[in-house]
Amino acid sequence: MSMTMETGELINFHVAVGDQVKSGDVLFEVMTDKIDMEVEAPADGVIEALVANPGDVVEIGKPVLIMLTETEVMAFDFGSDNEPVAAVEVVAVPAPVAPVIAEAPVVAAPVILNETVKAVPKARVEAANRGIDLRTVRATGPDRTITMQDVNGAQLDPAIAKRQAANKALIAKGIEMTRGIAQASFTRSVNANFDHAQFIAAWAKVLRNRPDLAAHQHVGVALIIESKYGSALPVFRDPDQSSIADLTALVAATTDAAKNGKVPIAMLSGATTTVFDLTSYSMSSATPLLFPNQVTSVTIGYESATTKIVSLTIDLNFCDFYDGALLLDALVASL
Amino acid sequence: MSDRMLTMAEAVREAMSIAFDERPEVFLLGEDVGIYGGAFGVSGDMYHRYGAERVLDTPIAELGIVGAAVGAALSGMRPIVEIQFSDFTAQAMDQIANQAAKIHFMLGGALHVPMVLRTPQGSGTGAAAQHSQNLEPWFASVPGLKVVVPSNPADAKGLLLAAIDDPNPVIFLEHKLLYKIPGRDPVPEGSTRIPLGVSKVVREGKDLTIVATGIMVNKSWEVAEKLAAEGISITLIDPRTISPLDMNPVFESVEKTGRLLVVQEGPAQAGFINEVIAQLAGSSSFGSLIAPIKRLAGMNIPIPYAPQLEKAAVPQLDDIEAAAREIVNNWR
Repeated sequence: MSMTMETGELINFHVAVGDQVKSGDVLFEVMTDKIDMEVEAPADGVIEALVANPGDVVEIGKPVLIMLTETEVMAFDFGSDNEPVAAVEVVAVPAPVAPVIAEAPVVAAPVILNETVKAVPKARVEAANRGIDLRTVRATGPDRTITMQDVNGAQLDPAIAKRQAANKALIAKGIEMTRGIAQASFTRSVNANFDHAQFIAAWAKVLRNRPDLAAHQHVGVALIIESKYGSALPVFRDPDQSSIADLTALVAATTDAAKNGKVPIAMLSGATTTVFDLTSYSMSSATPLLFPNQVTSVTIGYESATTKIVSLTIDLNFCDFYDGALLLDALVASL
Repeated sequence: MSDRMLTMAEAVREAMSIAFDERPEVFLLGEDVGIYGGAFGVSGDMYHRYGAERVLDTPIAELGIVGAAVGAALSGMRPIVEIQFSDFTAQAMDQIANQAAKIHFMLGGALHVPMVLRTPQGSGTGAAAQHSQNLEPWFASVPGLKVVVPSNPADAKGLLLAAIDDPNPVIFLEHKLLYKIPGRDPVPEGSTRIPLGVSKVVREGKDLTIVATGIMVNKSWEVAEKLAAEGISITLIDPRTISPLDMNPVFESVEKTGRLLVVQEGPAQAGFINEVIAQLAGSSSFGSLIAPIKRLAGMNIPIPYAPQLEKAAVPQLDDIEAAAREIVNNWR
């Protein structure tokens, strides 16, 4: 699909309202200026509404279909087994950032775990302040007593806790998968001011010259955004090719959405690199995690009021040591 | 070692000497305090420096000794009574609890009893059941008595001077094991008083509050040092005066740490340290607790004679360390 395409014609739907779909099922076909394209479901779920008609000419970015998904996780699907070289990109939706209506998680009714409650005094105070019913909090302290840790882990919305747990499990799986990768890390101190948009645009520009370091034909920069729901990793596709104003607005909107637990599902795939910003934790560096199917990963760390530390980790199977150093140099030079 | 690293015995002797010099009405009486220099060497050479009129050797008659002191105090003197082992105060209890503590009240405030009763307490010297008790709760439970328990020489000097100044009876409980060793800090020169009824925060931490009396302060300090190296930071509070008890630092600290461990040498049952727990449990700081309050104290037995059993009968370093770790690790 070309980057200049602004509309597409909806050909037909392959699903009806109420259908259960699995991730990958074809939802509808769109006629683009090059081919007829099948659009696949990005996650398991159920079709809630069809909001366009076959034959309509739909603008890029406008919703065509609404589906509800139970996917609690706003992180990568580590199931794909693309290799970083010469994979064919599959675009799941007719626009780079079509906001599919945010999922409505299935909220389970709170389960009464404790008939009688034993809790440390401060936990009772905290629960009272936050409107938490201690009967629903799992007690891990001695003698089945609810501790502060238990209360702090308990959320008003059990769906949030469920999502966090799923997130943790997925990231743990990711970590396991990356353990065997030969990695190298490089660090540079940077005396510059930049925001997320500028940074990911600069990095994408560097990577633009290295299509061999990506599993897709675009450059997809995943940016880790922390919220009370867990870690979200929205992917910004080809951020160096938008205007900086547009990109800044998109980053801001996506960050807001992520903090409210609503990352557009379309933005949850297609990453070729990941950026972690550790400065809000006052951390200076970490060895960035390489996610499966990514060759590079970058962290931004806090060094002082005027300098930051940028660390790059590369997968040595696909990028040699010298190239890695050059990549970081190029990034730092462009900041 | 600096020459101000005095032992507890030297610090107490120095305080008494300063008081003797400041006021002619201060004098010392007790068994073996004069010519012998004190059973534990506390009075030392004071008999030779101040003479028989100020340092009185008495017969073995605790009730009479304390009775004489009460009478002297009522007549305008400021006696320091040394009872050789705190266990022997039982012999003198009528004069301590029924006379000294109450006369001021029963005479409508007309007279005071400005008496200090100093006595060594505690176990660890192999002196067995009748010479090793910790009787803090006996005295702390009598209204009209003040009770001071110094944990180190520097505090002992300032507290004793304040106790001698006090117009009412003060029980000053020294620990036998501390007499011959210096503390962590040098003893200040001069005659600065440490006010009675003021607790001391010996060290600050954020994970656990320990309140301890007497020799348990020092043991707790060692444990706190060791655990600090492992990232467990402990606030240690020494009440110094157990009656009247200053709980304010304890409330403040528990609100920060959320965990409280109290350590005393005497038996747990009806021990003094329970006062700390009772006040905390009834206070608004109770809501800050994230762990049950833990109490370490002596076993409910007379102090044994056999050395291993004597040690096992009271909290030791290992016990304090284990308790601290358990509270911090199990209650998050």
